[in-house]
Amino acid sequence: MDLALTDAERAFRGEVRAFLADALSPELRRGAALTSGVFAEPDIARAWQAILEAKGWLVYHWPAAAGGPGWTRIQRWIFEKECAEAGAPVLPGMGLKLVGPVLYTFGSDAQRAEYLPALRSGEHVWAQGFSEPGSGSDLASLRTRAVRADDDYIVSGHKIWTTQAQFANRLFALVRTDPDVKPQQGISFLLIDMAAPGVTVRPILSASGDHELNEVFLDEVRVPVANRVGEEGQGWSIAKFLLENERGGSSFAPQLLADLRRLAEAAGPLVGERADRALRLRLEAQALEMTELRTLIEIDAGAAPDPRSLTTKLIASKIRQGIETLAVDAFGLAGLQLPLERPFYGSDVPPPIHSAEAQVAAARYLNARAWSIFGGTSEIQLSIIAKAALGL
Amino acid sequence: MNIAPSDEQVMVRDMVRRFLADRYDATSMANGPMPAKDWRALGELGLFALLLPESAGGMGGGAMEVMIVAEELGRALAITPLADSVVLCGQVIARSGDAGARWGEPLAQGDAVLAFARGGREEAGVLSGASGIVPGGMAASAFVVALETGGAALVEADASGVARSAVRMVDGSIAADLRFDGARCVPLDIAEADLSVAVTMAELAIVAELVGAMGTLLDLAIDYVRQRKQFGKPIGSFQAIQHRCARLYTVLEQSRSMMLRAALAGDDARGRAVTEAKAYVLDAALRLAEDVVQLHGGMGVTDELAVGRGLRRVLLLSRLYGGGAAARMALAA
Repeated sequence: MDLALTDAERAFRGEVRAFLADALSPELRRGAALTSGVFAEPDIARAWQAILEAKGWLVYHWPAAAGGPGWTRIQRWIFEKECAEAGAPVLPGMGLKLVGPVLYTFGSDAQRAEYLPALRSGEHVWAQGFSEPGSGSDLASLRTRAVRADDDYIVSGHKIWTTQAQFANRLFALVRTDPDVKPQQGISFLLIDMAAPGVTVRPILSASGDHELNEVFLDEVRVPVANRVGEEGQGWSIAKFLLENERGGSSFAPQLLADLRRLAEAAGPLVGERADRALRLRLEAQALEMTELRTLIEIDAGAAPDPRSLTTKLIASKIRQGIETLAVDAFGLAGLQLPLERPFYGSDVPPPIHSAEAQVAAARYLNARAWSIFGGTSEIQLSIIAKAALGL
Repeated sequence: MNIAPSDEQVMVRDMVRRFLADRYDATSMANGPMPAKDWRALGELGLFALLLPESAGGMGGGAMEVMIVAEELGRALAITPLADSVVLCGQVIARSGDAGARWGEPLAQGDAVLAFARGGREEAGVLSGASGIVPGGMAASAFVVALETGGAALVEADASGVARSAVRMVDGSIAADLRFDGARCVPLDIAEADLSVAVTMAELAIVAELVGAMGTLLDLAIDYVRQRKQFGKPIGSFQAIQHRCARLYTVLEQSRSMMLRAALAGDDARGRAVTEAKAYVLDAALRLAEDVVQLHGGMGVTDELAVGRGLRRVLLLSRLYGGGAAARMALAA
């Protein structure tokens, strides 16, 4: 879609491209290429976050009033597209994409002053405490209790599927502050210091052998009332804002198209049925790119997001899983390796057999199964589309 | 980045939409080819002149205009020769010297329909051989013939040595089985590259007609599943139905994106972008039409509802210029 860019947008793209060429060290590129999970691991992510923050582009998707660079949606898209094409690390989104916008939208002045700078500097590393063992798709049924005791809440419960909680020092969580009203109305949004007594993190190893996920146990954890975002009982609408913001906040297609291109380069020419699969995946991703752009352009022009924005996560999940399955097939036996060492890019890890792409193929295939599960399963997405876009 | 239609383009879209809405509804859609008087009325509104290149006396509308007009005709499931006659033949004659002057005006007015034929040999201004089935061929005043020997020629339908017999196509349109036996023709002075630009525009029109048809078919399906009751409830309240409809909506939006992407591509990139759009949309449209029939149950397979007739139109359009598999082979080559 190059050709619809204005001259100013083209110039901006040149600026981003030049910056990335300079700022992405071989170590960062290698670390990104050898990432098997959804997000870059901490040493890679920390270094990249510091570089972006120094440039003023870390919170590129925040409005100027919240400290962002004041870019249009198209500029943000160009930045994401160039980062994907250049193979930049994918930063964890729990802080920057999820709780950050919640804080600048719903947070008190004191909360904004305390948390936003610490988020940007990397001092605070965030994890998301939404899902519970009994509350997955039916999130509003969550049972973690927060009982008021003077200026604190006493929080007890069990969170699960908490991505990178082992690296986090802050947790944002949905908790039940009122068990006697409609489930959605009794939920509040708390910011929890993970160093507080009563917080325990237990790893969940993925089928890939990666440690991305955790359980977080909260056992009578004291959380100051001042750490509640918004009003008591407002947690559900904040959570909906967060999830909608997550959906509209960034584009899926640039990364998918860049990964497809890199797969074709690393695997050599794909032939026959694999070539046809690669082509179908590329067509679907090209269509998704335009589907995403249509919405971004409309929002830049002042319109409310069209219901079509509800479709992108569903579509992206399918393409992502298709790409990772194709990768496993394309590399033959080299695509079935699952080295024991983690992370793959560590300095004492032997060089990849065949290629970086082949080495992570099996782990990525396994981890990508989660795409149609996290952030609302594909079945939930379909139900949302049927209701919101089609009125069924 | 700007992808929104201009004010003029919005006016054109609204005009065509109103014109068609006044004449076609769910009971009359896709019930045979558009009557000649309606086609002529569209010509009088200036719609075809808008799409014809300036060298054929038109206003030189570009890919966006072609897309907008074709999508509206598709939305009404209108059975017309837009892609073949106005877009493809119009582009060819405009790039072929005198033919543009001779045929531009009648094409613009809707008084004449041209058809595009492939096959036939030209020697010293005389055509022989067969073109096989030519869509819209029975109503055509003349044929633009892409010759087996390369290049193109124009032959009038009533010239001696032109033989045609009617073929009723699956969507109710009438094609001609066309043969030449010493028919006098005018060789068209058109470069291969120009011919392929013309075909690309026509293919974009087909893609847009299909996207328009997909939108209407999905709307019909949503209306139906809201009304149709089984087990005491609208079937649209069942999750199996909801999820099928939601998938169709994503397919429609993705197809629309491929169409827009092709229309917005620059002249250098359009050929490939249109082939990519075909590779996606042709199969997607037929799948959607089949699913919409499924959602209508027994009624879907009858001739009484627009969905059954819509399936026929989609089947034809999705195969007319080579199907999705052919487009994917072209992209893989």
